This record gives sequence, C-alpha cells and structure tokens, in this order.
Amino acid sequence: MNPKNNLLVGAIIAVVVVTSYDVGVEPIAFFEGLPNLGIVAKEMTEFESEHWGTAFWAMLETIEMAFVGTIIGVLISLPLSIFAARNISSKFVYAPLRALLAATRTFPSILWAILFVIVVGLGPFAGILAITLYTVGFISKLQYESIEAIDYDPVEATNAIGLSKLQLIRYVIIPESAPHLLSQILYMFDYNVRQTSILGIVGAGGIGFYIINYIKFFEYGKAAVFMLVVLIAVLAIDWASVKIRDRYIMKAEHGRQLKVSN
Amino acid sequence: MENEENKPASISTLSIIQMRDVSASYDSKNAILKNVSMNVHRGTNYAIVGASGSGKSTLLKLMNGMMIPSNGIVLYNYQKPDVKNKSYKKSMAKIGYIPQTLGLVKNSTVMDNVMIGALPRIDGVKSFFKIFPKKEIEYAHDILKLVGLDEKSDRKVHMLSGGEKRRVAIARALMQKPHVLLADEIVSELDSVTAREVMDVIKDAQQKLNLTSIMIHHDMNLALEYANRVAVIKEGEKVLEIGVEGEQIIDFQTGNLTQQEILEMYSESQK
Repeated sequence: MNPKNNLLVGAIIAVVVVTSYDVGVEPIAFFEGLPNLGIVAKEMTEFESEHWGTAFWAMLETIEMAFVGTIIGVLISLPLSIFAARNISSKFVYAPLRALLAATRTFPSILWAILFVIVVGLGPFAGILAITLYTVGFISKLQYESIEAIDYDPVEATNAIGLSKLQLIRYVIIPESAPHLLSQILYMFDYNVRQTSILGIVGAGGIGFYIINYIKFFEYGKAAVFMLVVLIAVLAIDWASVKIRDRYIMKAEHGRQLKVSN
Repeated sequence: MENEENKPASISTLSIIQMRDVSASYDSKNAILKNVSMNVHRGTNYAIVGASGSGKSTLLKLMNGMMIPSNGIVLYNYQKPDVKNKSYKKSMAKIGYIPQTLGLVKNSTVMDNVMIGALPRIDGVKSFFKIFPKKEIEYAHDILKLVGLDEKSDRKVHMLSGGEKRRVAIARALMQKPHVLLADEIVSELDSVTAREVMDVIKDAQQKLNLTSIMIHHDMNLALEYANRVAVIKEGEKVLEIGVEGEQIIDFQTGNLTQQEILEMYSESQK
C-alpha cells in the first residue's frame, strides 16, 4: 500500500468517527440494549393465532393495492416513456418530462403517501395513488432507457420505407423494447408489494397499519403474526415472478426451442 | 449547384436511376465516392462489385436518399432522393431497400415484418391497431408464397435461419410494390448453396413483378451469374462497367471479352 492510499484510508476513518459522534452513535447503548431484543423475540414467538384471519385479509388488501397501483402506473408510463426517449422525441419534450419523472423518484413512496392522505383522506386509495406515482417515475425511466438501447438497424431500414412516426413506434419501437417490459413490470410489482406493506404507517391503507399500531402498544405477539404474513407473501410473489420470468421471458428472448421443465 | 439542377440533362426515359459526376463524403475531407456516373435502365439487373470500404454501400444510400451527394446529381424517376424531404415520401415508398443488416424487427412475426412494407399505403390510425385491408393481407400471403415462407408467417423473426431472414427482408421490400429493389450484400454471409437459393428467389420475383434491381455483391462470379450489367468500384471510383448477355460479356471500351478475361481484369482492378 502506498502512502497516498494510507492517507485516504486514514481520512475515511476520521470522517466516520467524527460523523458518528455527530449523529450520536453509542456502541455501549447497543450492547446494553441487546437483552431487550431478546424480550421482543420471546414475545413474538407467543403468536396470537386468532389474528391470522385479519392478517390474511390485510395482506390481500396490500397486494390488491400494489397490483392496481402497478398496472395503472405502467399504463401511464408506456406513452410517457416514448415521449421521454431521446431517440424519438424532441429535446423540448423529453428534457422537461425527464426532470418531472426524476422528481417523482426523488421521494420514497411513503412520502407521496403522506401527501395523498392529505389530498384524498386516510385509506387505501391514498396508498394506491402513491404507488402509482412512484411506478410511473420508475417504469418510465426503465422503459425509455430500453427504447434508447434498441437496435437501430430496423429503425433506419423502416425510415427508408417512409413510415409515419406513429407507425414506426407501433411496428418497430414497441416490439423491439417489449421483451424487457414484462420483467420490469414483475420487478416493479414485487417491489411495490414491499412498499405497500409499510404505507399503513402513515394511514394509507394496507397491512402496515396493524403492524405499526401493535408495535406502538407493545403487542409484539400480534405484530409478529402480521409480519410473518408479509414475509410469506413477499417470498411467494418472488417465487412466482421467477417462474413467470423463466416461462415467458426466457422464451421470448431465446425462442421456442427452450424447454422449461417443472 | 443551381445551374446543375436546371440543366436539361440528357435524361433517357429508359433510366430509372441516374448518377452524374457524383461525389460523397461523411466528413468534408475524405471523399468516399469520386465522380461516379451511372445509368440504370428499367428492367436491368444491375450489380455493383468491389472490395469492402470501396464505397458500394454509399452508392445505394445515395440512390434511396439516405445520403445526399456532396457534388453531382442523383435522380430516381427524375426526382432527387432525400428521405428527410417530406414531399419525397411517396416516391421513397417505391424503393425497396434491403440494408446489409437487413433491418428486421426481430421480436415481431414474419407477417408483421412483411406488413411494414405496406404501411405507407395504409391509414395511420387503422395501422396502429393492425387493421389491414383484406387485399393487403392477401397480397402479403402471395408475396410470402413467392419467397417460400408462407407457412412460417406466424414465426418470430429471431427464430429463423440466415437464409429465411433474407427472404423476409425480400418479402418486406416486395410488399412495398417497388419500382426498384436495392440490396446491399444480401447473400455475402451465406454459404454458396443458400446464397444461390436466395438469389433465385429474387430472380423469380423480378421476372414476375417486372422489377429493376441494383444489388451489391462481394463475389464477382455471383454478379456475372445473375446480373446483366456489372459495375466495379475501387476506392470510390467506377473503374469498369460491363454488360452481360448469356455467355457474352461486353466491355464498352474494349469490345467483347470472355468471362475468364473479365475475372482477370477484375482481380487486376482490385490490386
């Protein structure tokens, strides 16, 4: 290691120490507090099984919210991503649109949820709006990037035939960028289910409402039931989206000869 | 420039494409083509042969208006080709251009790719929802039968073989109901058997649809076999132009030649 690197490592350590002090990092408190974790863990194992039903319905609501938000978000994203693609739109359209989309991604969906609770009141609808907005920001970005990365040869060839812009989009741009879309939607839905699980904390519907309230009142046993349901649901969705990806997307990208064994 | 445009050039009504003293370059320094003149008559099978980097592809791009000459004049049907010019769009639809990369939409079906050729004739809103007039669909099937791909019309293009992909590109170009077919090294990457199969498809289509074709070849033998006129390009200049009529090969400067002599002249010109 040369002296320059030593200096750099030293500087980083110094910054970590100073900033830790600044924000009040107390390692002693952590170790002193560890037994509390044991208490929580012990209480969590004392399931209150009469809550399974409630937890199931709350999780279903969460998934429904994520589903509706994802689908509406994607539907809005598709035209937006075309307007935001540099190789299709003019600078005066894509530049402001990209700035707007970047702004929607700046805040986590829970902040948007607070805003929409103020706008439409407590309940799942505020959560759906938050998820939709976040999805629009995210899918539009992923999609305009894949539009910008498409193979340019068919675009050039069909331009020489004299297609209109709308026809070019419909017959070249969309089919060429579509294989990525399905996997992006699956990924987004997966992500949105996790996000929606905590939106209840600000009163925007979903299972998070129960979790935060039981924790507030130290009812860890009840909270544990709801958290376990979230865990199972997220794992199940993850597993399902891998299956869907293998079955449909791999086939779309590598042709029909690929066999999927179950 | 103004003068040259207005000059009543010695235009033959037989010609479909004319080039007079054409130069072209991508930047202002290095010319890719230098003073090339060419005259393609209707119904000709014209071949352009030359080493890679000699400027062959540029010639085709000048003919269909993807490039504009820096000097000289290019005429297609007495119009200056320019894909950026909106009033030229109708004429453009009548030039079937097959780039070397083919430019197929790989995630679409054969049928969707072929239909792209018909799109300039179809109303924008209807075409957006893939609503096509019945006679266009029938014509697409006719074309696919002609190139021997009708039973694979629902296949995705990325699943086809190299020869089949070329047939799709040919079908798309024919779907344009073109007056002239431009193809850039369409068989260069194929083995000689498949190459001849593809060339036979084009020859067949040409006879049935009364087409003029201008094709770039890498292989002089293939050019002599399928074309009735061959131009040789070397370093951006046309160094040789010959007519082929059966076994007879005519050089317009030196008179009749044998195929052996022409191949020797060709390999000489490429040195």
